[in-house]
Amino acid sequence: MQQLSVKHLLGIKGLTRADIELIFETADTFKEVLNRPIKKVPSLRDITVANVFFENSTRTRLSFELAQKRLSADVINFSSSSSSVKKGETLLDTVNNILAMKVDMIVMRHSSPGSPHFLAKHIKANIVNAGDGTHEHPTQALLDAFSIREEHGEVAGKKVAIIGDILHSRVALSNIFALQLLGAEVMVCGPITLLPKYIKELGVKVELDVRKALQWCDVANVLRIQLERQQIKYFPSLREYSLYYGINKKLLDSLDKKITVMHPGPINRGVELSSDAADSDHSIILNQVENGVAIRMAVMYLLAQN
Amino acid sequence: MKILIRSAEIIAPNSQLNGQRRDIWIENGIIKNIANAGELPTTEAHRVYKDEALKVSAGWVDMRALAKDPGLEHQEDLYTVRDAAAAGGFTEIALLPNTHPFTQTKESIIYAKTKGNTHAVTVHPMAGVTIDGKGKDLTEMIDLHMAGAIAFTDGIKPVWHSDILVKTLQYLQTFNGLLINRPEDTLLTQFGNMHEGITSTMLGLKGIPAIAEEMMIARDLRFLEYAGGKIHFSTISTAKAVQLIRQAKHKGLKVSCDIAAHQIAFDDTALLEFDTNLKVNPPFRSQADIAALWEGLADNTIDAIVSDHNPLDIESKKLEFDLAEFGITGLETAFALINTYNKILSVSDMVEKLAIRPRQILQLPVPAIEEGQVANLTLFSTELEWTYLEKNIRSKSLNSPFIGQTFKGKPLAIINNGKIA
Repeated sequence: MQQLSVKHLLGIKGLTRADIELIFETADTFKEVLNRPIKKVPSLRDITVANVFFENSTRTRLSFELAQKRLSADVINFSSSSSSVKKGETLLDTVNNILAMKVDMIVMRHSSPGSPHFLAKHIKANIVNAGDGTHEHPTQALLDAFSIREEHGEVAGKKVAIIGDILHSRVALSNIFALQLLGAEVMVCGPITLLPKYIKELGVKVELDVRKALQWCDVANVLRIQLERQQIKYFPSLREYSLYYGINKKLLDSLDKKITVMHPGPINRGVELSSDAADSDHSIILNQVENGVAIRMAVMYLLAQN
Repeated sequence: MKILIRSAEIIAPNSQLNGQRRDIWIENGIIKNIANAGELPTTEAHRVYKDEALKVSAGWVDMRALAKDPGLEHQEDLYTVRDAAAAGGFTEIALLPNTHPFTQTKESIIYAKTKGNTHAVTVHPMAGVTIDGKGKDLTEMIDLHMAGAIAFTDGIKPVWHSDILVKTLQYLQTFNGLLINRPEDTLLTQFGNMHEGITSTMLGLKGIPAIAEEMMIARDLRFLEYAGGKIHFSTISTAKAVQLIRQAKHKGLKVSCDIAAHQIAFDDTALLEFDTNLKVNPPFRSQADIAALWEGLADNTIDAIVSDHNPLDIESKKLEFDLAEFGITGLETAFALINTYNKILSVSDMVEKLAIRPRQILQLPVPAIEEGQVANLTLFSTELEWTYLEKNIRSKSLNSPFIGQTFKGKPLAIINNGKIA
């Protein structure tokens, strides 16, 4: 049986193209399972997974939990909107307390970049990074690329524009790494203060005009404005942002080709994406959500084999 | 006590003995006799130092260390910081005022100078420029100077307030006092965790841009021209910073600067594994910056090498990267780092930057290796290979990325205040 080259999914950085292809092939199988009348397989029976979320999350946590249940894993959930440090307990102590209850796998979301890498140095359980601050969100990038593959047949050679707050987005960074590994061309677009100064060195194109970005791409991945992650003012107002960077149906219809629109959710309707665009036939947003479960099943299944 | 240093190569720039091998006889802290190598008898000495590659120079001076005493004595105190300094070859150390409470009264100066004063390492406390290091109200600098403050600085914090900076430069002229500033525009570095560049982008960590250091240096130099006085920039880290200071020196401004020894050991790509022991401010920069620092050392734009010793407990480091504190415990590895990575400096150059220039900047007498002079000496080897092991660390804290690393060159002993360590 094929195996992943890693013990943890800490980020897309660290994965090989073969790893991603293996995850996709496995997800294909699980997606088929999810469409059966009986959606459950016994693959992770006797495996206990803890979802440890130090940041608010609805869809990612639900998606992971559903994936775990479909795989017959035992699931426990720990949520804390404030970091455990503020309560006087370190991250390592919190996680070690959970592991002492004989947990095999940790799915963690945390506001600190590198926190799953830190954990990986100190604990034995498999770790899945469900988003670490402004660093990576690997399962989101995998499900995004998987959805592009599903919609367009393959990822290689496709042009993908990532639009919005690139600076604070773990989705952007993981997407760039995954798409490049799979042979896609990547462009980032947004207000210049929300683009990392050195982003070009990652081999991506940079565009400040959203219309030009849309005209260039096959797929537009529209990101959420991460107001909660901005510690400093980066742009004048949401009003100005939506006027000059917001995407609506009229803009999409004015292009000379039909492009695919994606969004990792939750959407700020009327800010980065208008309702008529989000609900149009350009959008594969709900397919992304569906694929998220299959991708997460594949990731946890494969990690449990290692 | 009678001490014999046998057949040691004397490293004393500007002395006729520079590069010569000699026996040195020390009695009760005074150099009694300097003779040809191998001439002096070993029999009467209480202590004999000999090694094939033994070198001796004026004792080294560290211009930048945190002692954490008073306030955080579990990380370091005035006794252990001297032990760590001695292990690093330093006979004198200048301590930053970032204690709790902040070093801003003459009592705190006297406390640091007297606590455990019977040691081979001499402590020189520096005093704060502003009350609590907040950058707003000046401390009583004349009184602090009279009590023995060797220089004025807000330490790990920059003197950011432009009017306070001008007034400090002016006020210190009363007694030819020295302002030491850590150049950092803290508005540009807030929430920053590492050098801003492609690596910080890839790690999703907010960057500390080079320009935050360079703008402050440019600004401070302009104020120096306006206000007069003198300024020492501590722990510079970027190529442009070196260039700005080089230009200012050519102009004749009274400016000097130092780098932290560890600054040349890593570039920013070392942080790819999120190792918090590599979290330091100023951050590890680019290879081009490191190359410029070496050039600056070689052409004497950079006057001194400091330890930037910042001992921290494990609770401050065994954390998520953005929550961990900045700092490395540096006293015991400063020389070994420079000597190991050095490709450009002569031994004399290193001694200039560790022993001579720091004293000139701090207005301390430079001890001469001559008969009749007080012995303030560091014995060292530039060849000896050794491994920095946790069990040998003299500091109370272990926050070093160099544990387990093998170095070339080691301080072997210090002699000062009539004592050896």
